[in-house]
Amino acid sequence: MKTKKMMTFRQRQNRQGYKFMMPWIIGFLLFTAFPFLATVYLSFTSVKQNVAGFNIKFIGLDNYIMAFFENTEYVPALIGFVTQIIPYAFVIVIISFILAYMLNHIKFMRGMLRTIYFLPVIIMSGPVMQQMIDAGVNQSRIENVGIEGSTNLFILQMVYNYSPDLARIIFQVLTQLSTILWFTGIPIILFINGLQKINPSLLEAAKIDSANSWQILWKIIIPIIKPIALVVVVFTLAQLGTYKSTNPMYELITGAIENTAGGLGIAATYAWVYTLLVLLIIGIAFLLFKDRVKGRRR
Amino acid sequence: MKLKKLLIGSSYGKLILKLAIYFVLICISFVYLEPIFRMISMTFMSNKDVIDPSIEWLPKNPSLSNIAVAGKVLDLKKTLFNSLWFSALLAVAQTIVSAMTGFALSRFKFRFKQFWFVMILLAFIIPIPLLMIPRLMTFITAQGILGFNLIGTPIPQILMAMFGQGVNSTILILIFFNFFNLIPYSLDEAAMIDGASPRQVFFQIAMKISASTVLVVFLFSLVWNWNETYITGSLLRGSIELLPAKLDVFDSSFQTYANSGRGTAQFRLNEAYKMSATLISITPLLILYAFVQKRFIQGIENTGITGE
Repeated sequence: MKTKKMMTFRQRQNRQGYKFMMPWIIGFLLFTAFPFLATVYLSFTSVKQNVAGFNIKFIGLDNYIMAFFENTEYVPALIGFVTQIIPYAFVIVIISFILAYMLNHIKFMRGMLRTIYFLPVIIMSGPVMQQMIDAGVNQSRIENVGIEGSTNLFILQMVYNYSPDLARIIFQVLTQLSTILWFTGIPIILFINGLQKINPSLLEAAKIDSANSWQILWKIIIPIIKPIALVVVVFTLAQLGTYKSTNPMYELITGAIENTAGGLGIAATYAWVYTLLVLLIIGIAFLLFKDRVKGRRR
Repeated sequence: MKLKKLLIGSSYGKLILKLAIYFVLICISFVYLEPIFRMISMTFMSNKDVIDPSIEWLPKNPSLSNIAVAGKVLDLKKTLFNSLWFSALLAVAQTIVSAMTGFALSRFKFRFKQFWFVMILLAFIIPIPLLMIPRLMTFITAQGILGFNLIGTPIPQILMAMFGQGVNSTILILIFFNFFNLIPYSLDEAAMIDGASPRQVFFQIAMKISASTVLVVFLFSLVWNWNETYITGSLLRGSIELLPAKLDVFDSSFQTYANSGRGTAQFRLNEAYKMSATLISITPLLILYAFVQKRFIQGIENTGITGE
């Protein structure tokens, strides 16, 4: 009798839960899971659009060969993407953490400063970004000098002698710093959120044990905050990926999609390799930022 | 060690530290403000002022002609109205679905709940370009079967928003999930004992308590849908003219406009026109933000958008 009642309760919970979840599950299967698998399949096919619909033909690895060995734009775009997105994500995580930490520490003018720092969340869009980069007079002035010409930066010259590629990446980050800062809106929110959730008694206990604020930062705050850095990386990758001006792959993929005459299979290959790269970066970020303390406790 | 103590430990040192923090924060805040100030100053410059190198910020002969021209090129009346209803519609759909999903995850124990939770997170990680190709093909095939156009209408995006696959849906779901977790379950129980169905609990209790969260999610969704150009570009294909999309092609539409009526030599595209167009396109968002920023920021900070 009792077990039967338990079962009905559980069944009711099950049914009600699925009732509320249903729209999302349908949408997920239809618009995310199916397209995901379909793209993987499409990357091995040639897709021709005709009046009746799509003519899909399996062609094996031809698309991949085409992408990597025949298309001269693809590999440089991939390398450009990786060398751009990794330093960007790295810089965004660090800067937004520092800014969030500072924003969390002040009382006077707090509201006003936060309002300003959240501004990018509100007005950022691809076209607006593009217009602002176009108008960025100061930036282009630095870029015109070029990396070889900027001898006044001694450290950069040292790095350049060691490895020109590394210097180029650092130079890129420095010249694009104001653009990068525009991407810190949501990451700052995420970090502030995490900082506010830290139990104040933890910090108090550390203080009583005569830890200074530097120790508290490294031994308590950063380990707690670390998992949020992963979310920030994921969000940053998603955000950087959807803008023409920050993603060298963007135009290649959209161009291939629009070229419906015979490009959809190749477009799928481009997108799939791109996705693998993004997932790889997220995987690395996961290994870097995963919550070690929590794992041990469980 | 003594120096460190002097700097950090004493109240005098603290004051210096505070001042340093304010200095850094205010300096960096200009990175966000400068482009907006620049836009405002450029907008009111006349053609002469733009070329004049002695004018940095304040225009000598302020004029409103830039705004007027940019507004005309952007087709402001139409695009503003379109953008408003389009993003509001998507935002309403997204808000309702994410509230429902968040409610289900926070209130019910159902089979494979963990699995679906992971799927929700996964849906966020998969880059959009990967999904766009089959989505596009599905809609093209569907419009062939149904016999009316889907591509070039808002229907595909409304469908996607209605079924929880809109812009950044995962984050919206997690906001609701976190907030509903804060509502004590005994409230639901009390209502259930009084004979309320789960649907009533959802609409009468959960949604009403979380009015501020609903607002935050709606605003997030509105802003993201407003600013979204990638999905919109490939599904709408410009058949409904939206403000950000129109800004994207501002250069070419300006040329068309200039050539059509008064193609004089003076009427050339310059930064001032572009900046006024950009300013126009972000003004609606800025106005919205000015009105709700306090609740907006509080809402984000209290509920949290990381799902731990």
